Amino acid sequence: MTYANITIEDLVSTQPGRVIKIAKISGQLDESNVDDQSKTIYDVLTANPQNLHLIFDFSELEYLNSKAIGYLTDWYGKVSATAGKISIAQAKENIVDILNVVGLTQLITCHATLDEAKAAMMA
Amino acid sequence: MADSFPTQVTVQSVAASAPVVTPVDVASIQVAAPVIAPKQEPVTVTITLPTNAYFLSGIRDFTLEMTKNMTGFNEQWAYRFQSVVDELCNNAIEHGSAPGQEIRIIFTSTPHESLEIVVEDSGTGPNKYTAQQLRDLLVKQKEAVQSQFLGLRGRGLAQIVSEWTDELIFEDRPEGGIRVRVKKYLSQGDGSASPASLNSANVFKAV
Repeated sequence: MTYANITIEDLVSTQPGRVIKIAKISGQLDESNVDDQSKTIYDVLTANPQNLHLIFDFSELEYLNSKAIGYLTDWYGKVSATAGKISIAQAKENIVDILNVVGLTQLITCHATLDEAKAAMMA
Repeated sequence: MADSFPTQVTVQSVAASAPVVTPVDVASIQVAAPVIAPKQEPVTVTITLPTNAYFLSGIRDFTLEMTKNMTGFNEQWAYRFQSVVDELCNNAIEHGSAPGQEIRIIFTSTPHESLEIVVEDSGTGPNKYTAQQLRDLLVKQKEAVQSQFLGLRGRGLAQIVSEWTDELIFEDRPEGGIRVRVKKYLSQGDGSASPASLNSANVFKAV
């Protein structure tokens, strides 16, 4: 199985009721691992059914396939429907390129730095 | 990549013709003639894989290095072809060839002109599509993309493969299974290396 790992970090929110988390994804999300890895994110969504603000730190993400993009779209839909927000930070050029070609950058904001993404989520 | 990589790789290349050197009287040269690199012949690499997504990270690595080293496409396109190959192979593994069977990937690079990628399955998989059914499916997926009704799946062919290739052809194999043939022509702005830096020997090292 191709290496991939997801870690979840909590951020302290100044906004009442807002839950802010960083999901850092490392490695390559492909057909061999994406179904298993996606469970980590679905667990976060289940545990935080409202007002979840989720930053995907893609600084160590090397590859994602179309199914991973499908999951990302699904998470965006679920979080947006429950007063939450999703953003992406520090994605490599090849990752932004593939997000662009499927139109996902029109839905999800891509920030160049993690600090920029955090500031946008805190506001 | 796996420690042992039970694949078969064959490479066929036709060496570029050596430039013809004609003795020249140096004193007679008045204007420097433009340097034209000799035309490089197509190189074909065929890889046979067991029907298992486990091996695809190795194929992605190979695609990236091969594109960078011997096609003339730039790094952005190397990553794009990585995705194109991955999506085509995923489809062949998921639908076309049963576990224990094989899929075949054929790269044909005509340096500084085009890269063709062919993926074949054996037709033994759980979903026996014909080439015509795949063409119809692609049309539906493209419509779904435009109307934003696409779910988890369907972006591979309809968006990634379609957008990043100039030709996408489905064929029924006489022996059973599907052959998907994609081709991308090198356009201005897509290239990277100078002709002199292209060396088909580099890709053999990458294998």
